[in-house]
Amino acid sequence: MALTTTPEQTRRPPRPVRATRRGSGPGAGREGLAGYVFLSPWLVGLLGITAIPMLLSLYLSFTNYDVLTPWPEVEWVGLANYRRMFTADPAYWHAVRVTVTFALVAVPLKLATALGVALLLNRTWRGVGLFRGLFYLPSLLGGSVALAIVWRSMFNADGAVNSFLAFFGIQGQPWVNDPDWALETLMVLAIWQFGAPMVIFLAGLKQVPTELYEAAAVDGAGPFRQFLSVTLPMLSPVIFFNLVLETIHGFQGFTAAFVLSNGTGGPVDSTLMYTLKLYISGFTDLEMGYASAMAWVFLVAIGLITAVFFSTGRFWVHYSDGSDS
Amino acid sequence: MTAVRAAGPRPRTGPARRQVVRLVLLLAILAVVLYPLLWMLGASVKSQEEIVNNIGLLPERFTPANYSDGWANFDVGFGRFFLNSALISLLAVLGNAVSCLLAAYAFARLRFRLRRVWFAIMIGTLLLPGHVLIVPQYILFRSLGLVGAQWPYLPLLIPHLLATDAFFVFLIVQFMRGIPNELDEAAKIDGASEYGIFRHVILPLSRPALVTTAIFTFIWTWNDFFRQLVYLSQLPDYTVPVALTLFIDSTSQSEVGPMFAMSVLSLLPVFLFFVAFQRMLVEGINTSGLKG
Amino acid sequence: MYAATPVPAGPPAADHHRTARPGRRLANLLAATLVAVPLLFGAAACGGEDASDDPNAPVKISIFWWGGDARAKLTEDALALYTKKHPNVTFEKTWQANQGYFDKLATLTAGGNPPDIFQIDDNFLAEYAARNATLDLTSYQQSGKVDTSRFPESLWKYGVVDGKLAGLAAGENTQGLVYNKTLLTKHGLPEPTTGMSWEQHIAWAAQVSAKAGMPGTQDPSADYKAFWVWLRQQGKDLYRDKALGFAAEDVTAWFELWKGARDRKATPTPDVIHEGNVTDVTKQLVVTGKAATSWVWANQLPELKKNTKDELGVVAYPGDPSAQWARASMYYSVFKGSKHRDAAVDVINFLVNDPEAAQVLGTDRGLPSNLDLRKQVAESATDPAMKLSMQVEEDLASTFGAAPQVPLKGHSTLKSELTKAAEAVQFGRATPAEAARQLVAACTAAIA
Repeated sequence: MALTTTPEQTRRPPRPVRATRRGSGPGAGREGLAGYVFLSPWLVGLLGITAIPMLLSLYLSFTNYDVLTPWPEVEWVGLANYRRMFTADPAYWHAVRVTVTFALVAVPLKLATALGVALLLNRTWRGVGLFRGLFYLPSLLGGSVALAIVWRSMFNADGAVNSFLAFFGIQGQPWVNDPDWALETLMVLAIWQFGAPMVIFLAGLKQVPTELYEAAAVDGAGPFRQFLSVTLPMLSPVIFFNLVLETIHGFQGFTAAFVLSNGTGGPVDSTLMYTLKLYISGFTDLEMGYASAMAWVFLVAIGLITAVFFSTGRFWVHYSDGSDS
Repeated sequence: MTAVRAAGPRPRTGPARRQVVRLVLLLAILAVVLYPLLWMLGASVKSQEEIVNNIGLLPERFTPANYSDGWANFDVGFGRFFLNSALISLLAVLGNAVSCLLAAYAFARLRFRLRRVWFAIMIGTLLLPGHVLIVPQYILFRSLGLVGAQWPYLPLLIPHLLATDAFFVFLIVQFMRGIPNELDEAAKIDGASEYGIFRHVILPLSRPALVTTAIFTFIWTWNDFFRQLVYLSQLPDYTVPVALTLFIDSTSQSEVGPMFAMSVLSLLPVFLFFVAFQRMLVEGINTSGLKG
Repeated sequence: MYAATPVPAGPPAADHHRTARPGRRLANLLAATLVAVPLLFGAAACGGEDASDDPNAPVKISIFWWGGDARAKLTEDALALYTKKHPNVTFEKTWQANQGYFDKLATLTAGGNPPDIFQIDDNFLAEYAARNATLDLTSYQQSGKVDTSRFPESLWKYGVVDGKLAGLAAGENTQGLVYNKTLLTKHGLPEPTTGMSWEQHIAWAAQVSAKAGMPGTQDPSADYKAFWVWLRQQGKDLYRDKALGFAAEDVTAWFELWKGARDRKATPTPDVIHEGNVTDVTKQLVVTGKAATSWVWANQLPELKKNTKDELGVVAYPGDPSAQWARASMYYSVFKGSKHRDAAVDVINFLVNDPEAAQVLGTDRGLPSNLDLRKQVAESATDPAMKLSMQVEEDLASTFGAAPQVPLKGHSTLKSELTKAAEAVQFGRATPAEAARQLVAACTAAIA
């Protein structure tokens, strides 16, 4: 499917070639050229579509851009937006605290849930596809209006969650309407939508060669031992991917907060996630310059976290292609 | 898998008991996971007054008319929005599958100058919160003449053709790196070029990654609200997520019942798409792959 | 095999020592982009002139509004009526719900192609007017091309920003206190009346809570429109010229007033109050059965009614009703850079002043701005809830005071900060004085 539509393919049909030695330097010669040929759609997209808006937003972060003012009248304000963020906006630091708390709790729990359910659903039995679909259903809802209404009804003072708890004699909470509990409710919502990492884990589990399990079984390894010595290492590239992406996603966590708080971050800013604050600044308060500055600080901060992940990855991520990082 | 278990040291009752435990565990989790969705299903047959006031699962008065009302609402009928969404989502799947796969192959398997730099940049593009990009991207697309053109979906689809979803590039890279390198080597010895290796070794083995990409692209495009809202301006061009919000104008008119009914319906295509495609995840590919 | 083709180590985000050259390239790219892109912006942002002087040349006017399906149908009918009378004018209509409306409008404006006519509210009118996005209608008003002679004076003046007529009121509404009539009758409780003092209202609500077992009133301390009416009754206002029209002490007094009401159990608990602190009609406590009274706009009564079996009534907010004014529920504005300014102005004049159009549009955007047409529409109204809301607004019209100035830029911040501060007090996170101080500081910064 993939190749019939690529221009490279028509120009350079796959033909058997002698294993000619390529040029001396790494990436030189034919393989280097092939690399850029395969990369070309992405490169065009990067330079043509992705990079310009990104760099523009970087530029805008040094201006007082308010969306409505025509471009030539935008005023350069130097580091004022960054200074305001770090020194004059208490809500900014509040949003940082909320976001870090959210990500630290929700990301590991979501990944653990996703991995657990994926392992349970990995075996092939009749109806497993339906089960997978049902577990994925919550994630299909995205951030729709219906989802907001459903969740607010579940987590009301008189909602289903409290009725359930009352059944066990536990005193409920107003959850989503209480500043002490709203963020926790948000975390539950995020974890509830564990479908995406679950599917990725499932796909990854399918890549583990069954021979390895057979070999382990011959060596007398039980299921738990097999999990530790076969599943985890073979799954580590996918675990790594999910960890990196869910971390980024967790810090960006916009949808759940927007949906549950009607876009306000309330009650009393308890669900004011970083990106929600950024959105309110940019579109409601029309301070897009300030919002852009927030976005770039976010990029640097999350970039550092991601870099840390990548540098530790070499110690625990196992690649079958022979490289170790 | 069964072979593994049969070879295990446990007595015959062990696996059966484990099977039961697993099933009970699954059903318990499933009940918790599905309750909100059942509530949603219940709400889709409640009257508006009941949705606002009755927090129970079942309607007091069964109101199936929500479905016909919702379907017939708006001048063009709701079916049109389903078709629009399906069209955009399928084209996006196609675009992402091709473009991201190509880029991922380059990153995962080929050596070329600045590879690490490009890779870092690609990861970097994942990090910037999207809201600050909407306005600059709109301005860019408009200056390229793509906004309000003959075909309003261009600005929504072109990014997919150009692998701008770094998520999928990275995803496929991670999967490709799980494919043993010996296969490439063997193919090279047989005289295959980079394209040949891609075509005959990597592509067949990338199916789990491609299926995952297809599933996510379809669902995320199906649900994408903000970009579709910004770029689509004519009612007949609207997509499902945009149309769903038309039911609720919170300050004036709200038709909550039909909104729930159409929300339930809008889950169906994505659900079916998922169930159909996840089948492809099931069939193991590794044994044949290793021998290939 | 491995030695012959060493695969370089993979994802290398943390690898730095080969980035020197691309770094320079990036800098060049950045520089080139920043030079090139303003040109694009400039090209996109410049508006056009009137395409032709010929009044009969074909014209296509784009128009953008938010609302539900009913509003869409009515508006399309009214526009079709215009096309019937002016066959050379056709319309490109875009409508959506209010979610995301202003995000999209701002994005279109940034891209240099906002619609010729757009619907806007007092939340954003000053923002758009201050950025010169709206056409000043004053000259059209003077030449009679925009006719406001039959508008209540305070209504059209509520569209004036910095001496420019930035928007034409598409309809009128005013604050309305909606209460659950069925509940009160059932428990033999008196109905609230216009002109009750705030103290009386709270005492009444406490009585309702005690007798009916349902909190008497939503605590409106987070609601800017209630706060605004109360301020005007104290001789203050939300805004004065370019500054806030109130001080921290006023906010403290307002919060104390409602703290007292909560202590007397006249209101629900803070979490329920929070639930009702949204603009959404379906979540107002008076229809969700969690309070006997909600603080809304009078013309929302018919929509509220759809969400409850109970009968509803509506009166003015407590205190002197002359603190309320004929508020433009929303405006039609014309984009300053529109290529068809004159034609667009004629369309919005048609929508508010043409008898046939008024008959089509009804009260969907509020009571018709034109008083003659309002009478005509009122006579043909059939929905009892609609009749009631029109009746109440009609009664209040005789006591309406002068309109306040249109909210300054930063109004959305004021609204959200007020909610935050009020809820902080309700949840015991701050004293009224602390919350008031923070509110005034944040709002002063936002409107600067």
